[in-house]
Amino acid sequence: MSTLTDLLRRPPRPARAGAIQRFLGAPLAWALVAFDLAVLVWILLNSVKSTRELLDAPWSLPKALHWANFGRAWSTGNFGPAAVNSVVLVAGTAAATVLLAAPAGYALSRFGARSAGATTSLFAIGLGVPAQAIFLPLYAVMSHLGLVNSLWGLWLLYTATSMPFAVFFLTGFFRSLPIELEEAAALDGASPLYTFARIMLPVCRSGIVTLVLLNVIGHWGETFFALVFIHDQQLQTLPLAMLGFLQQMQYNGADWGGMFAGIAIVVLPLVGLYLCLGRRIIEGMTLGSDK
Amino acid sequence: MTAVAGAGTAVVTRAARSRKGSALQRGRRRLYVPFVAPALVLYAIFLLVPVAATVWISLHKWPGYGAMEWAGVKNYRYMFGDPVFQQAFENTLLLLIGGGVATFAISFGLTMLLRDLAGRSAVRSVIFFPNIVPALVLSILWGFLFQADGLVNKLLRAIGVQHPPAWLSQDHQYAMILLGLVWISTGFYTTVIMAAVDRIPPYLYEDCLLAGANSWQRFRHVTLPLSWDVIGVCSVLWTINSIKTFEFILAMAGSASGLPSTRTWTVSLYAYATAFAADGVPSYGLAAADAIFTLGLVAVLVVLIRRVMRRDAIQF
Repeated sequence: MSTLTDLLRRPPRPARAGAIQRFLGAPLAWALVAFDLAVLVWILLNSVKSTRELLDAPWSLPKALHWANFGRAWSTGNFGPAAVNSVVLVAGTAAATVLLAAPAGYALSRFGARSAGATTSLFAIGLGVPAQAIFLPLYAVMSHLGLVNSLWGLWLLYTATSMPFAVFFLTGFFRSLPIELEEAAALDGASPLYTFARIMLPVCRSGIVTLVLLNVIGHWGETFFALVFIHDQQLQTLPLAMLGFLQQMQYNGADWGGMFAGIAIVVLPLVGLYLCLGRRIIEGMTLGSDK
Repeated sequence: MTAVAGAGTAVVTRAARSRKGSALQRGRRRLYVPFVAPALVLYAIFLLVPVAATVWISLHKWPGYGAMEWAGVKNYRYMFGDPVFQQAFENTLLLLIGGGVATFAISFGLTMLLRDLAGRSAVRSVIFFPNIVPALVLSILWGFLFQADGLVNKLLRAIGVQHPPAWLSQDHQYAMILLGLVWISTGFYTTVIMAAVDRIPPYLYEDCLLAGANSWQRFRHVTLPLSWDVIGVCSVLWTINSIKTFEFILAMAGSASGLPSTRTWTVSLYAYATAFAADGVPSYGLAAADAIFTLGLVAVLVVLIRRVMRRDAIQF
């Protein structure tokens, strides 16, 4: 397993750089790093400040911890139910995506069918279709089927629009695995279905994990479809809760403390995910462009 | 359907060619359709068919319910004459070209700066992070920073600038949006370009040093040609992503109506706003025309980029 992933990953070979790069580059790069980290820490600090303190003394540490911000965001800001909806939706989408895309990717990359190349290209074309080019007829038809303003409808939509990238990504991943594995399995009398489920899928686990991560990250913040297809407050996902809170502030006065608590609710899970699996996320998102 | 027929013929010729492993081939032939069909059907129903339907809608006058009234190319004609669309199109091009050039220049600069840096993977991890944060969050932060009594202005006043520019006024808002989008995207493109540059064997640079090449020459004659393919892919990605840009601009609205000033619209906001306008009759035909125009723009640009960037692969 480890040798396989080592093979797939090229070892970095940094080239030599000049003195200017070393002395000018290092401070600049670290300044950018400091800025990004500062923004993150600043979000977290702001989420426990009162709005007045947040505006008057933006740079100071919080004088007292206003955990009530989180309470307000969670209940009146609707971030609580929205978080539950988002978790269920995102998990369901990722599961369905893998379930459909893994067999397709495997069959397209390994079965040697003559139409496989064209079908893979057809999936790849979908990568370039923006949401605004499909939402009108989908909205019209899905509202007849009761799939508008329904998390089931959004789940279907998310799963279907995940197909192009998921199939494309997994096709590339399966193609990079050594053919000997399947030949050995066939010689031992394993059926293709068995080979897929018991040999190829486990070997491909790291690719599937990466796909799930990218899928989850993408849908955690998805706004366009959610905005169009969900109307009820109790069905809101996290991005809609954020937009709703932003609009509430127009009427009820600025509650930046609550807003930042809401932002923290959205961002913290991503920070956790990134700390544990950051390298995998980066590699997954940049993998396709390296080929 | 073509997929099924194609699979059949492929298997027949294959079986005729060799008898060896035919049991394996037979098993696979049986599995090909059940494996591919579910994904393909879902994809066709939710992406391919709706695109075709959107073309159809764009040729009609339709509020989203009731009867459709044939309009021919009237929607397109109206759209091109609509100053709001013209502004949106101009904004989209500005993002596509201006934002693209800025992002790529910064990303290349950072790649060069980071090349020999100790702790470069830590740097990379941090600057990549904004890329996985929902654009909506970043937009809200961005708006908060540049508010009239926001942090940036406080900072400027502290160092003696009495009348800081009205960042988010109608005149400046789109420039601020561009700046924000460049900030978010830089991490991603830097990471990709860095991965490409890392693959260039060090001995090429050593040769350059021996030949006395300066750093610009090294960039021009080694780095750039050897990462050319990746730059091509990045340009395609940038084209697609910048045309999809939506929530970053939406959340800059901050107004009760829920839509930002038309001065900041791009083609994606135009499609959304004309279909789901809070006031007035929804115009699906117009929104569809905008969407199809956008899709055509993506297609033309992607083909163009691929053609311009194409050249023989360099093995190294």
